[in-house]
Amino acid sequence: MNMELSRRAFMRGAGAGLAGTAMGALGFGDIEAAHASSIRAYKLLGTTETRNTCTYCSVACGIITYAKGDLAKGEKATIIHIEGDVDHPTNRGTLCPKGAALLDYVHSETRLTQPKVRKPGSDRFETVSWDYALDRIARLMKDDRDRNLVEKNNDGVTVNRWTTTGFLAASATTNETAWLTYKVVRSAGMVVFDNQARV
Amino acid sequence: MAQLGSPGHDAVPIGEVVAPPFAKTPDPSALFRDRSARLRDLAPGHRLGAYLTFLAGLTEVQAALAEDLPPPDLPDAEALARSRAHGMPALDRERFPHDPACRDTLRRFFAGASAIEMPAESRQALSAIASADDETLAWMVQNVVRDSIPAHDAAPHVFVAAGTALHAARCASAVDASWLVPVGEGACPACGSAPVSSVIVGWEGAHGARFCVCSLCGTLWNAVRIRCTACGSTKGISYQELDDPEAAEGAVKAECCSECRTYLKVMQQAKHPALDPVADDVATLALDRLLAEDEDLRRSGRNPYLLGY
Repeated sequence: MNMELSRRAFMRGAGAGLAGTAMGALGFGDIEAAHASSIRAYKLLGTTETRNTCTYCSVACGIITYAKGDLAKGEKATIIHIEGDVDHPTNRGTLCPKGAALLDYVHSETRLTQPKVRKPGSDRFETVSWDYALDRIARLMKDDRDRNLVEKNNDGVTVNRWTTTGFLAASATTNETAWLTYKVVRSAGMVVFDNQARV
Repeated sequence: MAQLGSPGHDAVPIGEVVAPPFAKTPDPSALFRDRSARLRDLAPGHRLGAYLTFLAGLTEVQAALAEDLPPPDLPDAEALARSRAHGMPALDRERFPHDPACRDTLRRFFAGASAIEMPAESRQALSAIASADDETLAWMVQNVVRDSIPAHDAAPHVFVAAGTALHAARCASAVDASWLVPVGEGACPACGSAPVSSVIVGWEGAHGARFCVCSLCGTLWNAVRIRCTACGSTKGISYQELDDPEAAEGAVKAECCSECRTYLKVMQQAKHPALDPVADDVATLALDRLLAEDEDLRRSGRNPYLLGY
């Protein structure tokens, strides 16, 4: 905290801030009083601005998300605007066409919000629970790996290659997430793997 | 700001790489001329109209003198280099009280200000300081630069603050902005004073960057957005504005910090170029009142025209 701030807090405690105003001392006390009584016609409108990383690609541009409504006060928050972060060294305020359209993706009616599956032979997606989705994916991966894992190459050297399943990870991950993803995927023997989806 | 569901998006300045300068020193003539014009524009129909008109008069005197006065003295190259090496402001504002050029500027400012229309209380304060001796004047300038104006003696100090601001702006204008270095949280790199408010500028090469505006010398310095300018916290920053259907949405917001319980106004100059960091600070006093009453937040911005808030 800077000096000005701590000293001002002291001054306020000492009542100095309440004693007189420039406006009153200069002879504008009447309009100042009228102004004070008029402000009840207004209320405050709260917004938040939040730094984030664009979800699209490994460039990881900085974005600022504007939202209306205060979650801390139990209000429902809505994203009203997204723009490039001028202070971010990667993109310096710019966004590519996909990033510039982020707001429309956020509010898109067709945005995917829960797991869906299109079963073999079906012509439509159906909504499933996360438990079902994760169990099903694990089961299919295990079956495929048991069937197709290449344990040794032609020279008899152990290689443990799993070439029939690939893995595409998200781009806006942290270093830690990327590290974990790599460890899990490579330990399983998977060789078709992109941890940073390209544009 | 884009409305929900509308296809509108901000124009993206294609091919422009934003690389904001760290600081920009003022052009005093333009600074006070634009400010007085803005005050004149704001006054009609405003609840504080009479006060804004009075401030416009004061600012016009500042603007006229800015063109008229001889070029200010600069600290010598050795002193500048020393300040820079130690992360200190280029100008030592503690020298202003005893600087004959500052006193001369003040006396000419008082003479100019006597011609403007003002209430009896203002007139009385102005004539008292117009005849004040050097020592009294130095004491008052010291109160201004130290941000310790006695609350019971506000009126004469407002005139002294306006005159000192003119002197400081002229000194700062002579400093090469590329020489300035960061000197600390919420402190002007040119003179070390606190900001009055901050602006998001629309300049080419700095579009969308935020600058704090010095309350004394008018120098602008780059300050990262969504970060408290008083304590440096990035946690718990929120924005409050007046829910006023007549005002442009998002033009003037208060950047509130839940860590140090203060706020600084942020003005969207990129979208509303007429906004002035001092004039619109006074004109949006309703926002200060509501923030103090409803949210118990304090101003971190300093403005002699809003002394007491």
